[in-house]
Amino acid sequence: MIDQFALSQALDLLFSSFTPWLWVIPGLLIGLVFGSIPGLQISMAMAVFLPVTFSMDFLQAMLFLTSIFTGGAYGGGVTAILMNIPGSSSSIATAFDGYPMARQGKHNEALGLGLAASVVGAFVGYILLMLLIQPLAAFVLKIGPLEMVVVVLWGLTLIATLNDSSMAKGLLAGFFGLMLSQIGMSTTGVMRTSVGMPYLIDGLPVVPAMIGIFAAAELLRLRGETYLVQNEAQRDISFGRILKGAGETFKYPGVLIRGSLLGAVIGAIPGVGSSVANLVSYGEAKRTSKTPERFGKGAPEGVVAAESANSSSEGGSMTALLALGIPGGAATAVLLAAFSFHNIIGGPSFIRNQTDVVYSIILGNLGQVLLLAVLGLLSLRLLGLVVRVPLSYLVPSVLAMCAWGGYGITGTIAGPLTVAGFAALGWLMRRNNYPVAATVIGLLLGRMMEGELVRTMQISGGNPLRYMLERPIALVLFIIMLLVLVGAPALKALKRRRQARAEV
Amino acid sequence: MTGKFYATHAALIGIILAISGFITWSAVDARASLDNLVVVAPVASVIALLAVILVAVTLLKPAPTPAEGEAGEAQAKDPGIWGDMLMLAGFGVFCYALTKVGFDLATFLFVWAGVVMSGGKGWWQPPLYAAIFTAALVYGFGSLFPYPMLTLVL
Repeated sequence: MIDQFALSQALDLLFSSFTPWLWVIPGLLIGLVFGSIPGLQISMAMAVFLPVTFSMDFLQAMLFLTSIFTGGAYGGGVTAILMNIPGSSSSIATAFDGYPMARQGKHNEALGLGLAASVVGAFVGYILLMLLIQPLAAFVLKIGPLEMVVVVLWGLTLIATLNDSSMAKGLLAGFFGLMLSQIGMSTTGVMRTSVGMPYLIDGLPVVPAMIGIFAAAELLRLRGETYLVQNEAQRDISFGRILKGAGETFKYPGVLIRGSLLGAVIGAIPGVGSSVANLVSYGEAKRTSKTPERFGKGAPEGVVAAESANSSSEGGSMTALLALGIPGGAATAVLLAAFSFHNIIGGPSFIRNQTDVVYSIILGNLGQVLLLAVLGLLSLRLLGLVVRVPLSYLVPSVLAMCAWGGYGITGTIAGPLTVAGFAALGWLMRRNNYPVAATVIGLLLGRMMEGELVRTMQISGGNPLRYMLERPIALVLFIIMLLVLVGAPALKALKRRRQARAEV
Repeated sequence: MTGKFYATHAALIGIILAISGFITWSAVDARASLDNLVVVAPVASVIALLAVILVAVTLLKPAPTPAEGEAGEAQAKDPGIWGDMLMLAGFGVFCYALTKVGFDLATFLFVWAGVVMSGGKGWWQPPLYAAIFTAALVYGFGSLFPYPMLTLVL
């Protein structure tokens, strides 16, 4: 599976001089900053710093841009944990348990858990990429709209599990998100309502909506309190406790490995990636847990599942780029731009003729992951200081940043207004115990779902079920999904009934 | 019918139904074909069904115990609700004003008012903090935007 000669050449390329590594630490720091500020996107950071790479050689440029990618993926999780603001859609599930942990004064442990899970996840993702780049590329080529429908459906099933007290409320919130995703022009070009705003022709901007519904609504709820962590003794940023949290990650090896594998596979699917990976991984961790009722209230496994999946999906997303020359998302599209600037075209010939460069990119990323562990630990002390800021100053400041972030994403008034509208919706939903995350998941996946469903209907001639029999990957995925969603709970219920009967 | 249906819950369900109804109408009006309604139609039906279930469940719920009743009443009469709504309205005005009066002025006024409303003490600390924060946002955050940004003073 590994070309030994190319591997030794890759090691030579990477370690014969310090030049390729020169920009890795700045890149990780840029990524951490962009990832942790709501509204600044990783892809935006990569695009802003793309011109800097024009004077670099190809490998140096790749390591710099991918280090922004790596740092940003973790930075998004930091704000999700500390302030319930997912820096990007790939950190939504991190907030579910990370933020409750922070409110309980376990912010050090949560940050440590997130960092360790991210490092392990990214490591697993890149190792898999190195070992399986060719079979994974073949797998990606076999992914069609029906397979995407099944994966998106899997992500959507999380909606039903988000509210323990009332499933109807969770479902209503999720379906309302799906409905909101239908604003603007349809995937087939039919102009539906844009609510009188030409800016919404492409639909509601998801990230500003997510910032508004998560952050602004939560900040309003905090308004009457003094600090994020009420107990003064627990407000410290403790290196020891962060390390303890990082060590705790390895108490959940099953969750960690499953999250990393799910992330790598789902991340490899172009257009789906880390946004769905973290949701599926979180949902699976909750479903298979012996104590699912702890999820959403500060369960460490929740943070591990989400962070391992979104970080390993980075390795997965590089599969399509390196092996097929297809960008799976905005960030990999910027990487593709850097490829073309250096006259390199990703694809089978790139892997065949320049295997050493491919290996050096992957090995360089593994090195970055280790550097992220060190840099993350050092920066957490600084980022964690947010728990010591009085809420009377923190709440209006972060609210203002949320609105600015909305503008930063859209470049029009639609961004800040979306943040404001969703802040009001989120406030109303939280007051009545509706899970706001379900609405975001619906909004995020609705448009993807519609496009893939329409394509599936067209390809299958209106008979998707018969078509599924011709698509082995979709069929296997669908059967696994059914087994996980219906089979496993039914088996558990049967066992419980038998046990109860035996006791009687 | 003994359960209580609080005003904010009624408002939320009303908003969900109104927006969903409008989007459905607009989609059907644009083109009533399968490819255009493949998500809208089933989702609208489920939303309507869930709304009916939620209203019925809430209204038919057995009478709350005295303790639950008091908690519910306390939530309904929560004095913080007006403060939250005022802050929300202020936030909405701030978001709208960003591109009208300038990002700097709107941010300065919002942060100042927000700090005071959230319990910030002293007469000079909130405006000083708001000014420093606004300058940091304009020259830091704003410089990273790839779009033009209207400012009045800075």
